[in-house]
Amino acid sequence: MYHKSKGYKIFSFFNYIFLILIALTCLLPLLHLLAQSFSSKAAVNGDLVSFWPVDFNTESYAKTFNNSNFTGSMLISVIRTVLGTLISMFVITTAGYALSKDFRGRNALMWIFVFTMLFSGGLIPSYILVSSLGLKNTIWALVLPGAFGAYNMILLMNFFKTIPKALEEAAFIDGASFFGIFWRIYLPLSLPGLATVGLFIMVGHWNSWFDGILYMSDTTQYPLASFLQTIVVQGSAQNMALSPSEAAVMSEQSIKAAQIFISTLPIILVYPFLQRFFVKGIVLGAVKE
Amino acid sequence: MKKTSAIITTALLLAGLLAGCGSKNNGSDAATESTLKDGKYDPPITITISKQQDENAGKYINGESLNNNVMTQWGEENLGIKIETTLLGGDWSQYNTKLRLGLTGTEQLPDVMPVYDTALLNDMIQSGRVKEITEDIKKYMPDRLKEIYKQFPTTFTPVVQDGKVYGMAISPNLTEGEVMLIRQDWLDKLNLKAPTNIDEFEKVIAAFTNDDPDGNGKKDTYGFDFSGKDGYNTGWVSDAVMIFSAYTGKHLPGKWLEEDGKLTYGSVADGNKEALAKLRDWYSKGYLNKELATKAAWDALADFTEGKAGIIIGRPWLYGSIKDVEKNVKGAKVNAYPTINAINGDKTYQSAQLNDGVFMFNKDFNNMEAFFLYYDKLYDVAFGTGDFKYGYAQGYDYDIVNDQVTFDSKKFNNPIDEVQGVGKMLFTKNTPSVDGTGKSFYDLANGSKADNGVLMRSDAADQTTKDGYVISYENRDVLLPDAFNGAPTKTMQTSWAQLQTTEIEMFTKIIYSNEPLEAYDDFVKKWYEKGGTQITDEVNDWYVNASKIDVMANMGLK
Repeated sequence: MYHKSKGYKIFSFFNYIFLILIALTCLLPLLHLLAQSFSSKAAVNGDLVSFWPVDFNTESYAKTFNNSNFTGSMLISVIRTVLGTLISMFVITTAGYALSKDFRGRNALMWIFVFTMLFSGGLIPSYILVSSLGLKNTIWALVLPGAFGAYNMILLMNFFKTIPKALEEAAFIDGASFFGIFWRIYLPLSLPGLATVGLFIMVGHWNSWFDGILYMSDTTQYPLASFLQTIVVQGSAQNMALSPSEAAVMSEQSIKAAQIFISTLPIILVYPFLQRFFVKGIVLGAVKE
Repeated sequence: MKKTSAIITTALLLAGLLAGCGSKNNGSDAATESTLKDGKYDPPITITISKQQDENAGKYINGESLNNNVMTQWGEENLGIKIETTLLGGDWSQYNTKLRLGLTGTEQLPDVMPVYDTALLNDMIQSGRVKEITEDIKKYMPDRLKEIYKQFPTTFTPVVQDGKVYGMAISPNLTEGEVMLIRQDWLDKLNLKAPTNIDEFEKVIAAFTNDDPDGNGKKDTYGFDFSGKDGYNTGWVSDAVMIFSAYTGKHLPGKWLEEDGKLTYGSVADGNKEALAKLRDWYSKGYLNKELATKAAWDALADFTEGKAGIIIGRPWLYGSIKDVEKNVKGAKVNAYPTINAINGDKTYQSAQLNDGVFMFNKDFNNMEAFFLYYDKLYDVAFGTGDFKYGYAQGYDYDIVNDQVTFDSKKFNNPIDEVQGVGKMLFTKNTPSVDGTGKSFYDLANGSKADNGVLMRSDAADQTTKDGYVISYENRDVLLPDAFNGAPTKTMQTSWAQLQTTEIEMFTKIIYSNEPLEAYDDFVKKWYEKGGTQITDEVNDWYVNASKIDVMANMGLK
């Protein structure tokens, strides 16, 4: 038996070590952040915290949740993620479903969609478009421009294609409409694919910060990621005279750590529930019938 | 195929329709004429601004926000001027991107735009969407502001084109100089005195490294903590410029110096090689922070705050940011000292900043008078007069408790964790100051009574900070503003970034002993060859042009 051979055992030993190391590189920064968030400001500024809090306190969290800008931004991020994911899923599932069928002009349409994967208008045209559509300073500026992702659509399209045609035909004979088939048969059967793509989109919405900064002109309208971006990025160039009292509050690393940690939490919590779909989820048409 | 083209046509038509909907006419402001009655506009007018949001600017208390806070309310109530932010950017580069996008013309630019980048300044002028303000300054700028701007004529050079003025510096003021912060307890323990020249400095950092100043029996401390990531002249904190200046005099790394009407670049001046040799020697002996090349100015503080390093350099307020070391390490005490002297006995020099960006105005902005009214009021805090005698807002940056003015936020009537940086809420981004290098601290130290807001505020600072400002004021003659503050010249646009990178890399490699010391000569040669000669010429041309037309007289600032 191959898996009992010596070579295999040595391989799996090193393989496990290697995988554990990779897992640690992902986990340790998060632990470090967590430890910082529970430590005192002095200890963090002095770089004394590694993976265990020094001078344990929960002040950073109290301050973070008392900051109305933070909680407001969090709410906007949640709304944005839910709304954006729903819109995106609607657009790409319907498009993917239609394109998984054969019809005239399908290739031309497909070509148009794929074109967007290769070329984009760039920053200035997108900005001009969004602002002349009057979307600036509304949540729509965050969810509409990226609603259709050709890559995700193709993933789903391929998933739909793997569903046997016979099922569809049987449903037709029973009198179902195209939309009924889509809703009652295709969507439930593609749950793994939907979950995977849905998570991609969710994480994308949750983490994206540049559009928030670009299209919003009030901090209270920033989604969380944009808010954090402004808080976490430090003055790198020269700073003008700061008063002594202003200088003393610069760079409160423990509060930043708490904010970053809280902001990553929701996505971390969603992961385990969707993880089981992943294995089945991403099939880019590699397996043919 | 017919269907396809039909679909495409419909899509295009729809897109066109949608686009049509969006282009609402923004309408020009000032439909009804506002008049100034008893120092207040009636009906109120709105001034729109753009703002760069930095780390501290997003902090508001009492549920306030960018467009509705104690300062915007004050403006509306007292002056009839509403300040509204219509263009908000994150950090420096994002803010510049947003302003550039604003220039595309899809929407109205804000009325008042702070600009922090000389290249962008130039683009804004070229775009033709910025107001020429020579006359406005002459007509509307209040006298006390004119007095300030008169002192800093060079701040106008980046915004002058063909003798016309397209902007003005934001709260011009010669910033405070740097001081040396030293672990006093270490000096005392090892029976050392604060160093005053390079030899003494070497002795002290050697002792801080080898003689176990923290007494824990381990060789885990070192002498001098500074940043080399973005060059060796940060100009504000974690600097090493004092060591360079000890050998190069007024030639500072990364800066342009004017001598006898000629501009030269500091990093290629004589003396840099000796300075590098010194740093290289110290680095190999372990006197310097090991990761100096990877630490940006603000990150380099950590070692000092942890109690590992003995000396750090920065503006006097830096004490406020590193005083945590006195909490982290038992018995730690930090004192401020002047920077060391050069090898020829002169003082060492530092770079200085004269302004924090430039105000530019929308071409269609017609309320310059209102702007100056508001801007002048903000200066009350700098002069300790009027509405802002003690600070901007009671309960935010100061409070009056039992008839006593206090700046300690923990003792406020409604105690808050930290003083609110009200200056950060304004369009000046920082609090305007006329205190220069620390005159109020100097006066206090010489027996002045703290009888106005400015002095009271200074008096409330930590002792070490106060000492630092006194040192800064006494040594204000060592501050050198960069002689070149214009837009990047033609050759700079193509090769400056490359030259800068090479420079920082080469300096670091020499200090790290990855390259022989002689590599510096090679660097200088290459620097001139790869555009340096041309850039020096262009910069000098710029200098001649910049000083040709006397715009100050045109603005009535003479």
